[in-house]
Amino acid sequence: MTLFATETLWWIPCYGLVGVLFTLPWAIGSVKNTGPRPAAYFNFLMTALALIHALILWQTSWTHPAYNIEFVWFEVGNWHQDIILRASIESLGGVFLITLLSFLAQLFALGYMEKDWGLARFFALMGFFEGAMCGLALSDSLLASYGLLELLTLSTYLLVGFWYAQPLVVTAARDAFWTKRLGDMLLLMGVVALSTLAPSLNFTDLTAWAHTDGKLLSPTAITLLGFALIAGPIGKCAQFPLNLWLDEAMEGPNPASIMRNSVVVACGAYVLIRVQPILALSPVVMGTLVFIGALTAIGASWVALAQVDLKRAFCHSTSAYLGLVFIAVGLQQSEVALLLLFAHTLAKALLFMSIGSVIFTTSTQDLRELGGLGSRMPATTTAYLVAASGLVAGLPLGSFWALGAFGQILATAPFLLIILLSVNGLTAFNLGRVFGLVFMGPAQPKTRRAPEVPWTMAVPLVALTILTLLVPLFILQGHFTSLTLSLPVLLLVVSGVLGGWFGYQGTRVPLVLPKTQLREQIQDFLAHDLYVERFYRATIVTWISWGAKITAWLDRHIVDGAVNLVGLGSLVSGQFLRYANSGQSQTYVLTIVVGVIVVGVVELIITLH
Amino acid sequence: MLSAVVWIPVLGALGLVLASQVTKVSTQQSRWVALAIASITFLISLILMAGFNSEITGMQKEEFIPWIKAIGLNYQLGVDGLSLPLVVLNQFLVWIAIFSSDTQIKRPTLYYVLLLLLSAGTAGAFLAQNVLLFFLFFEVELIPLYLLIAIWGGPRREYAATKFLIYTALSGVLMLAAFLGLAFLTGMVDFSYATLRHQTPLPVATQTVLLVLLLVALGIKTPLVPFHTWLPDAHVEASTPVSVLLAGILLKLGTYGILRFGLGLFPQAWANLAPFLAGWAVVSVLYGSFMAIAQKDMKKMVAYSSVGHMGFLLLAMAAATPLSLVAAIAQMIAHGLISALLFLLVGVVYKKTGTRDLDVLTGLLAPERGLPIIGSLMVLGVMASAGIPGMVGFVAEFLIFHSCFSIFPIQTLLCMVGTGLTAVYFLLLVNRAFFGRLTAKLSNLPRVLLSEKLPAVLVAALVVFLGWQPGWMLRWTETTTRELITSSPSLDRIIPAAIRQENGLVPQAKLSQR
Repeated sequence: MTLFATETLWWIPCYGLVGVLFTLPWAIGSVKNTGPRPAAYFNFLMTALALIHALILWQTSWTHPAYNIEFVWFEVGNWHQDIILRASIESLGGVFLITLLSFLAQLFALGYMEKDWGLARFFALMGFFEGAMCGLALSDSLLASYGLLELLTLSTYLLVGFWYAQPLVVTAARDAFWTKRLGDMLLLMGVVALSTLAPSLNFTDLTAWAHTDGKLLSPTAITLLGFALIAGPIGKCAQFPLNLWLDEAMEGPNPASIMRNSVVVACGAYVLIRVQPILALSPVVMGTLVFIGALTAIGASWVALAQVDLKRAFCHSTSAYLGLVFIAVGLQQSEVALLLLFAHTLAKALLFMSIGSVIFTTSTQDLRELGGLGSRMPATTTAYLVAASGLVAGLPLGSFWALGAFGQILATAPFLLIILLSVNGLTAFNLGRVFGLVFMGPAQPKTRRAPEVPWTMAVPLVALTILTLLVPLFILQGHFTSLTLSLPVLLLVVSGVLGGWFGYQGTRVPLVLPKTQLREQIQDFLAHDLYVERFYRATIVTWISWGAKITAWLDRHIVDGAVNLVGLGSLVSGQFLRYANSGQSQTYVLTIVVGVIVVGVVELIITLH
Repeated sequence: MLSAVVWIPVLGALGLVLASQVTKVSTQQSRWVALAIASITFLISLILMAGFNSEITGMQKEEFIPWIKAIGLNYQLGVDGLSLPLVVLNQFLVWIAIFSSDTQIKRPTLYYVLLLLLSAGTAGAFLAQNVLLFFLFFEVELIPLYLLIAIWGGPRREYAATKFLIYTALSGVLMLAAFLGLAFLTGMVDFSYATLRHQTPLPVATQTVLLVLLLVALGIKTPLVPFHTWLPDAHVEASTPVSVLLAGILLKLGTYGILRFGLGLFPQAWANLAPFLAGWAVVSVLYGSFMAIAQKDMKKMVAYSSVGHMGFLLLAMAAATPLSLVAAIAQMIAHGLISALLFLLVGVVYKKTGTRDLDVLTGLLAPERGLPIIGSLMVLGVMASAGIPGMVGFVAEFLIFHSCFSIFPIQTLLCMVGTGLTAVYFLLLVNRAFFGRLTAKLSNLPRVLLSEKLPAVLVAALVVFLGWQPGWMLRWTETTTRELITSSPSLDRIIPAAIRQENGLVPQAKLSQR
């Protein structure tokens, strides 16, 4: 069994890629008469195999010690780069979670994307996505992890740009790529710096290096290095100031959003946790992590409240939650960070699946057009409620344990505790608000005849609901946390319950707030994502476009102008050598060949003397 | 064996000319003859590769025929780790260029004859082991390229071709001046590369003058800012196969020349100029990238991206470590393949839509009436160019950055900003031309034939394959570059000089360990 495990570990990221290769004939349109279904089914089958394989390996890992398998990627002289896959309980658990969610999301997509002509392409992209994430979970080398993060950036671009004919999608895909690429570029700077400073780019070696030679680095150098390393995860986890792409990415198909808001953002955080020993060398970097996390957590929680788009209302809460993970990493609480990620992943995936059902049956994602779905879509409503309870500390589902554990740690840091409580309360408020608007209240024209989703979508929905309900059992069995009845935990429960209650009540009994200018401004400020986009425009977009304009001016007037100045321009554009139009080309060819030979001979004769 | 790579195309060209004088040669016939010859030379280059021993230093498969003894010009060919990958790339791209030529091209015989002569000239320059011979091949390659642009080019072909000719001719004159100067000042009557390399070194001041001459000469060819303005014009006017060859292989004559002759013949001057060269690399990278952002013509955008990517090469060469020079060769291969791919795709778009204007093109990915496969390949091409892992560009760029960072940290970081800018302009290209909705003007585009896709598919496959298995690209060169560096002890001085620049990036304890 162990031999099987060691020898087949590398298959796991390959299942998705095999699916991609198989789909190519359908995706490029050379097979048309079968429709795209066979390709979709094949990809689905590949994911199922990956899931079973991952489950077997994960079970093995509970009884066997962790091990690595190594491949030499390339070598030049005695310098080589390796790709190392690490099989441990954590990494294989991550792989299991990724393949499980990919499996459920693809099953869901069979229904959701049923009538889309690009079904084959979508499943291929999902397979690619899954393969890259599995690779990332297994990778034990920073270079490979960096590469896989870039591949995730690429597949996010392709998935967000899936419906590329729509104008909003065009900018969304572009901005998602640019934002993440900016983070990745800075991360690459860090990777390159580390590749010359540290003995190798394996996480094990890097950790060892951070405890020995790394300490000899000057504080400036280590701080710069740390900033470069956290830039990649900031982009990937949609943290301020690289947070806006996630909002725009909601233009993509919903099954991809299920993955993006749960496991993809977690991948960024996972890399952050792996490099944490190096970050810990610089208190400035750790402080920045906490600061960015806190800022994003609070800002995104507020922004979420002002959204009228169903998907956008929750993608900001993803940023907020990942902000908490950033705080945890900044406080060197990697285990809590992992627990937070785990609790968030399933619940958020379920949440996006349930709102996907709503969007599928009503064909709208505008909160103002929805209402009264609770009795019409019981399975979806149940799923939403379970997901909501799993996301906030209130009922004892996943996040109660994770946030509770974090709250106990933060008991000594009251300021951060307040942030945690506000995020919990605001998220609950948002979930209650959306629940009231979508599932309660009077039915609207678009929801009046909404049926429950077909079985291909209901099965993954129910399955994931059950799994989310089982999360606390898993957390408790694994003894990942122990909660006592302490003040932070109590406060968390109170904030969660009160937040949810007020959010829900707010939709039934509209608060009579005076309609003042200040209120409008605050609403606009939140609805426009704190004007982060304007910030981009005023800074980096302006710099680059001015850079381009100035260079273009220089090129036209100075560099090319100098050519004209010395008279070459008139020579070039004049009536010089007019033979290209003539039919008598051979003669002219002969002329110029002879001419060049004569010049060459003359040069050689000069040489001789 | 090496002569075969050079002379089979020449003989083929001669045969075509004679045949066309005797009988009427149809377009198809001359195309097939040219393709057959290109296939043979490509096969020979592969055999050369299979027989190459990457463990031994020095030239392999050397050929020597005395020619004009009086001026030290001998017919001297050889292949080593620097030239082998480039020769194979040359033969591959010539085949691709001939295959992707318009089947209905006017004056076919002359066209294919010129392509074959171009192939011979370039291969000869890569193989030449005598600096005068290199110069001759360098000049010989210029004539067919000039005519290819001037006869088969776009509306402003005369302007572009003449500009190209004047720039490159100037480049040739300066190069010759540098070579002659070197020979006269050392009192050598032999222009053999090996002899020149092992003579007693000239005073550093003299070396510097000669090196600067050579750098300007080859900087025009490469091209490096500010000697680049001929390139976008030439690309815009040249037909697709000519652009493929120009970007894919002919620019590498410049960088190859800088590497072999600049670094190889003037190591002390090189060591002194290295920080300046790294700065020049940064200027080239950023300038090329910003220019690309400002372009509205797809071909100009790709052309300026070449200027930027050539800057990475200069950085790698400035660092002059065995690894960075391997990285330079890898970048030459990577850029050769990627820019060839991009030009092929832009060529198909232009052929089908009649425009390259990014303000006009939109929605080309549309599945039924657009160009979906060309669009998908374009996404792959631009991602490769932007250095996304899994494709050949990333390997080359990572190697460059890794090997240069410890020597020129600031310059390396600034060059890395260039990779970010590459993503900016190429995403603008893809999103404008391929995303969105097809306009009425662009609908009902003619179908893309298999023969039009095939060259791009082949190149794209190679781009991905070498991205996953870079060993096939890297294994040839290391012994040669190690020998190049270790036989010139002065090059080691670059490293300590650079560490002083680091301003405390590396602490004292680390320094003493080195």
